[in-house]
Amino acid sequence: MSSPKATNLLQGTLDLLILRALSLEPLHGLGISRRIEQITQGTFQVKPGSLFPALHRMEEAGWLAPSWGESENNRKAKYYRLTAAGRRQAQAETEEWQRISLAMAAALQAT
Amino acid sequence: MDPLSYLARLWHNLTHRRKVERELDQEMTAYLALLADESSPRDARLETGGIQQLKEQVREVKAGFFMQTILQDLRYGWRMLRRSPTFTLVAILALALGIGATTTIFSIVYGVLLRPLPYPAGDRIAFVFNHFAPQNAEHGTLSIADYLDWKRGNHSFESAELYRQSLFDVTGAKDPEQVQGAYVTAGFFSMLRVQPMMGRTFLPGEDAGNAPGVAVISETWWRSALGADPQILGRKLNLNGVPSTVVGIMPSSFGFPRPTYKVWTNVRLIPPTRRGPFGMRGLGRLKPGVTFAQAQLDTNAIAHHIELENPKTYHRMTMPVLPLRDGLVGNVRAALLAFLAAVLVLLAIAAVNVACLLLARATSREKEIALRVSLGAASGRLIRQLLTESLLLSMLGGAAGCVLAYLGVAALRAWNPGNLPRIEEVRLDSVALAFAVVVSALTGILFGLAPAFQTGRDKLASSLREGGRGGTARAGRRLQALLVMGELALALILVTSAGLLIRSFVLLGQVNSGAQAPPENVLSMKISPIASKYRNSDQIIPFYKRVLERAQATPGVLYAGISDSLPPDRQYDYDTFVIQGQQLPPGEINPAVTCPIVSPDYFRTLGIPLVRGRFFTEHDTENAPPVVIISESMARRYFPNENPLGRRLKASGPDLNGTPFMEIVGVVGGVRYTGLDDQPADAYYQPYGQTMYYPRTNLVVRSAGPAAGLASSLRRTVRDLDPDTVISDVTTLEEALGASVVGPRFRTMLLGGFALCALLLAAIGIYGVIAYSVAQRTQEIGIRMALGAPRSNVIGQVVTEGLRLAIAGTVLGVAGAFLATRLLSSLLFAVKATDALTFAIGPLILIAVALLASFLPACRAALVDPVIALRHE
Repeated sequence: MSSPKATNLLQGTLDLLILRALSLEPLHGLGISRRIEQITQGTFQVKPGSLFPALHRMEEAGWLAPSWGESENNRKAKYYRLTAAGRRQAQAETEEWQRISLAMAAALQAT
Repeated sequence: MDPLSYLARLWHNLTHRRKVERELDQEMTAYLALLADESSPRDARLETGGIQQLKEQVREVKAGFFMQTILQDLRYGWRMLRRSPTFTLVAILALALGIGATTTIFSIVYGVLLRPLPYPAGDRIAFVFNHFAPQNAEHGTLSIADYLDWKRGNHSFESAELYRQSLFDVTGAKDPEQVQGAYVTAGFFSMLRVQPMMGRTFLPGEDAGNAPGVAVISETWWRSALGADPQILGRKLNLNGVPSTVVGIMPSSFGFPRPTYKVWTNVRLIPPTRRGPFGMRGLGRLKPGVTFAQAQLDTNAIAHHIELENPKTYHRMTMPVLPLRDGLVGNVRAALLAFLAAVLVLLAIAAVNVACLLLARATSREKEIALRVSLGAASGRLIRQLLTESLLLSMLGGAAGCVLAYLGVAALRAWNPGNLPRIEEVRLDSVALAFAVVVSALTGILFGLAPAFQTGRDKLASSLREGGRGGTARAGRRLQALLVMGELALALILVTSAGLLIRSFVLLGQVNSGAQAPPENVLSMKISPIASKYRNSDQIIPFYKRVLERAQATPGVLYAGISDSLPPDRQYDYDTFVIQGQQLPPGEINPAVTCPIVSPDYFRTLGIPLVRGRFFTEHDTENAPPVVIISESMARRYFPNENPLGRRLKASGPDLNGTPFMEIVGVVGGVRYTGLDDQPADAYYQPYGQTMYYPRTNLVVRSAGPAAGLASSLRRTVRDLDPDTVISDVTTLEEALGASVVGPRFRTMLLGGFALCALLLAAIGIYGVIAYSVAQRTQEIGIRMALGAPRSNVIGQVVTEGLRLAIAGTVLGVAGAFLATRLLSSLLFAVKATDALTFAIGPLILIAVALLASFLPACRAALVDPVIALRHE
């Protein structure tokens, strides 16, 4: 098992990535995982052991709403979409992340 | 996160558990299927990891997960407990016994020693006593003169008060009645900061020498004896012949010094002419910021001053300052703490016992546990599950224990064994219940930890493969053996302690009070003539004479006598004395001795033997030369190697110079007047015809057979002579002897009971371990028997295993008992804390019990059929 520090870091990142992945359209679990791979150009490959707990946690938090639909190959699948609260959260987290990355970039350039 | 939506989710998850589970399952299945479409099903499974573990990881983040698992654990635990009802019953009984006993004893300890006193800031109030040579009473009482000196010199207390407890003969109300009460100073109630429920308490100046009598009475007495008369305030009661106006009623919650007190009247501080009589207890509230130690220095300085001014009366005088609680509680602290220690040991034994049972079960549950691990249970989760089970068990035991404690406390209060002070404040209240809950939880965690850790250490694969016969089983057995050893050691400590108390009690019961008459044939009653009717000896002596004549004439009475002191612990008065011609070092006087005032036939009535000289006769009257009879021990101590007959002595004291010396006319056998555990008292007896007025005495008769039946006719005899005379404390000598040792008897029974429980639990414990080890080795035993081992050999082997445990436990226990029984020494009588006999018998009992407990499973082992045993799995 990974150390708690790494998990925490990943968790913050993962939430934002999931929120971004769902910003266009509702997706099911595997879809989210593939979308993240796609938008991060393969940098992040989310394992189901991290993905599903995060999805359910965010659902509990009211950011995601579930709905059952058919997948591209005609299978029943659980789709997640962003709620209004989820959009606000995505907005807030994006700003937060940008602030951090600017600060980090400045810090790295300063030396 | 929005708390409202979280609550909604929580509610949803808890109420729609099935639906949530089904959806989770569908989601995972769909995910796997989708993944399998992209790659192969095998790759999909590899990438996902265990589907069950994945589901569990998701469940853990959902709202209400913690609550749900606890509910689940509880449900599961409950099912486990119901599946093995014998185990559950034994465990709950053991725990109920332990927790119930502990809670009961805690209630008593809390009520007596810890509960705040019912007076505001009661921990700032102190008694002030008088300690001086030669009396040497640790908490001796003050005379009015001492009190006035203390009051004048006091710097540490807000005010200096005093009280003197007394029995009051009350007339003028209804029937004459004798009630317990106290004379108190005017500031007594305001010092305690208590308020009356009706009327007022005493006003400043009402303790002056010429103040009229006033009385404050208790609500209880007002309701029971005075018919809750609303017009009571302003009415006059005769208290010991003094007309006293009732000015107030104290609520029943008030009872100083004890709730049995019914009346408080004003003491009259008449300027004293001498240091005495004693009987006053000083009472004061410390000024803010003053410590007890500072107050002690202060009073000792005053005492030193008093001593310098009264060199003939006092030597080495101090005025001990004692916190109110210590004074009220007295000497029961040692006994109560011993009980608490003993009952905690008992609880520990019960907990260890349950731990052993759980351990045995945990080992047989290894396969189940291994299966759960392979199905995705985290080890932390498993430990929690096991702890929940043991907590469930301990809480059930605790609940049953609370019922036991409730009954126990009620029984103890009704019985009031050993005359515990403050017993009326003992109850099973929220503090005791909180204690029970905490104790239950702690026990549950403690005895649950052993098997839980055992499980945590389990190696999954080996457990599955070996089917519960592997290394962990051996480790579990080792832990179990250690626990049982500890249990045996603890049980031995209790058995030894109880043994010492039993030996003490038996020896105490063999002590002779000094009265040779059969105790059941001797009946006594206290008779208290109303003081106002009998103002001097000319009036009282003829009355007593008539009482004696009538009593003597009562059918069945062999002898009748009167005495103000009676064995075994009813000493009435003691005083110092001086022997004519005795050479004492300057400034020294003889110590105080018991000085009963008796009628001529008192000695014959009780069967006190005459050693030399003569008894008193009816001719020893006021007009005859004063005479005295001394006890054997006093003769030996003060007249060694000489004949005391014809020598003369008298009570000493600066104001007693004028009293004549009395001639010693007889020496009688020693009598115990200060308790069976004390030595026969040095005593000098005076004839009742030659002494000053005295208020109350005892009528005592002896018959040829049991005397209890004489009570009513004797009572009538006294009533006929004077209907106002109060009769109380009707008892045979046998009952009085029993009552005097009720404290030791209670201690002995209680500790004996604990020891029995401990033995029983230890027996169950060792039986469990041996039976379990036999069950584990059924196969091995079968092989040995198939190869020709005789049954006796098998029995011997199993019993040896139990014996080894017992001996190891005994060695530990003897060492522990040596340390523990030292705490008991103050409760022992005529037995040393390291009594060899007790220390020899205790281990023997323990080993015998252990042998018996291991013999049963040994026999079962020997009856094993080799064929079946070999197939046993």
